[in-house]
Amino acid sequence: MPILAVWCKELRDAVRDRRSVMSLCIFPVIGPLMIFFMFNQIIDSVDQAQDITLPVIGAAAAPDLIDYLRQNGVAIETVEPVADGAFSSAQDEYVHGAIAERRWNFALVIPPDFGEHIAKGSAVNLELQYDSSRQREAAKVARVENLLQAWGSETAVLRLLARGINPALVRPATVARIDVASEQARAQTILGMVSMFVLMAAFVSGVGIAVDATAGERERKSLEPLLVNPVPRLCLIVGKWLAASVFSMAGLALVLVLNLTALHHVPLEQLGISFIMGSRELAGILLATLPMAFFATALQLLIGLFARSFKDAQVYIGLLALLPMLPFYYNLMNDTGREPWMNLVPLLGQNMLLTDVVSGRAPAMTDFLLAGLCLMAWAALFIVAAAQQLKRESLLYS
Amino acid sequence: MIRVAELVKVFGGVRAVDGVGFTAADGAITGLLGHNGAGKSTTLRILYGLLKADSGTAHIDGVDVALEPLQAQRLTGVMTDAHGLYPRLTAREHITYFGELRGLTRQAIAKRTGWLLDALNMEAIADRRAEGFSQGERMKVCLARALVHDPKNLILDEPTNGLDVMTTRSVRNLLQQLRAEGKCILLSSHVMQEISTLCDDVVIIAAGKVRFHGTPDALRRQTGIDDLEEAFVSVSGVEPC
Repeated sequence: MPILAVWCKELRDAVRDRRSVMSLCIFPVIGPLMIFFMFNQIIDSVDQAQDITLPVIGAAAAPDLIDYLRQNGVAIETVEPVADGAFSSAQDEYVHGAIAERRWNFALVIPPDFGEHIAKGSAVNLELQYDSSRQREAAKVARVENLLQAWGSETAVLRLLARGINPALVRPATVARIDVASEQARAQTILGMVSMFVLMAAFVSGVGIAVDATAGERERKSLEPLLVNPVPRLCLIVGKWLAASVFSMAGLALVLVLNLTALHHVPLEQLGISFIMGSRELAGILLATLPMAFFATALQLLIGLFARSFKDAQVYIGLLALLPMLPFYYNLMNDTGREPWMNLVPLLGQNMLLTDVVSGRAPAMTDFLLAGLCLMAWAALFIVAAAQQLKRESLLYS
Repeated sequence: MIRVAELVKVFGGVRAVDGVGFTAADGAITGLLGHNGAGKSTTLRILYGLLKADSGTAHIDGVDVALEPLQAQRLTGVMTDAHGLYPRLTAREHITYFGELRGLTRQAIAKRTGWLLDALNMEAIADRRAEGFSQGERMKVCLARALVHDPKNLILDEPTNGLDVMTTRSVRNLLQQLRAEGKCILLSSHVMQEISTLCDDVVIIAAGKVRFHGTPDALRRQTGIDDLEEAFVSVSGVEPC
């Protein structure tokens, strides 16, 4: 059985090729690392916003405000004003210096005449100094600012009440924000990224074999001796294709398992995201993505046969690995929802199925079938074209 | 038996092969001799089915190469002009791979591989990966994998090109042994010396045409030149420089 012979040879060859094995092993690790990194960033900043130490200059002038901040869980670090007092240039320099040296990330400056302004009922300027380039501190700064605003509103309400005025008069409308997105839907964006990684894996993992079995054969001049064997060209290509598909599927499964494991170890509940991945969902994802391995490697083999050299092929095929990003971005832009024709577009169909599965909607079996069959039809077309290309005399002798 | 008649192949207006015809008999070694670019490799490539002739016919044991290329390939063992190996496979695995492609059983492959390794004196490299093989070792692997199915006909494109004396000698011995078994062997060369020590029959090609076909002795008689090299030069009609 020549197909089997080619398949075995290509797999044996690939397993011994450090580059092929490396590309199979390294890529799947990237996704989980990104997930851990991103989530820890998000969760960290949420956590830290609860745990704030606020340096305050001139705290003595505003005991009420300081009490209010303390009641709301903000630890206060009182700092004596510089000799000239607040709002002087020496004072500014001191605060800027402390922030630049990273002793502080932000500071509140209260003017010495704070008490007088409050007593007179006139407006007083507070300064919250911070460095907006420190992303991780943004949540803390926002929380302090919110507390200061809230204290201001409360004080205003008390003043109006003291003068016998209904506070509602100065606040004709209030806005309540109600987020109706389900927890599953919120998880979608993150899981969408996972599905992009899974689709990319199909392209990245089989590349070693696909290039070696086409442009590689030509470059090391082993193609001519191979073709003098009485084996139909289609059999040769199919053998190479199935071997590359094995690597592609292995990479795909590896990415899937590692990413899901990573998601299970990230405290998603803290972000209000619930993530349920049962065997049903897992089967759905595999069903949606496995045909991708055959599609990707078929396309790579075809391109590999058209490339003039090994390097040529690597560049073209490397660019192919970016294809799975297209449906990801298309979905970001497109909000008209799912339409039947999308099943028929390679990658887009798979992406739709994946997003459906991970966000808890079970797509119909016909959707899986349609998208899978469509991919396989494309793959078959590429394989036949590749066999045709292998028959050209100019491929060997140009 | 290998027979070509009126073979023509045109590459972009140049007639690389222009009406070549000859017969290579069973139990004989036929040498295709010519300068670089004379049309030797093109003729052989048509014979082993990787180029299509524009006109004329090529038969291997009566099978038309153009009509039944796979059947013709089954009857032939080929060592191409390209000697590419797979760097991560061993010599033995190369031979086995070609045996499997030709549908031989595992036992048949193992038996034949043992014989070839011995005949070509390559047991020492049998289980080493091809990466780092010398030119001679590469050629031996190419020859061995071409012979794995014990073909009735052999087509060899410059089989001893660039080999050292010892390797050349073991290749020659093997070819003489195969001739004694009644195989039809067609090989090309641009070195008269090579042809005269090995071949029963010489076909001299120049500019895509057959200039001479016969034994080395007949060549001497026809040209009246005793030195075969000189005779070859005079027949191929190219002035020595």
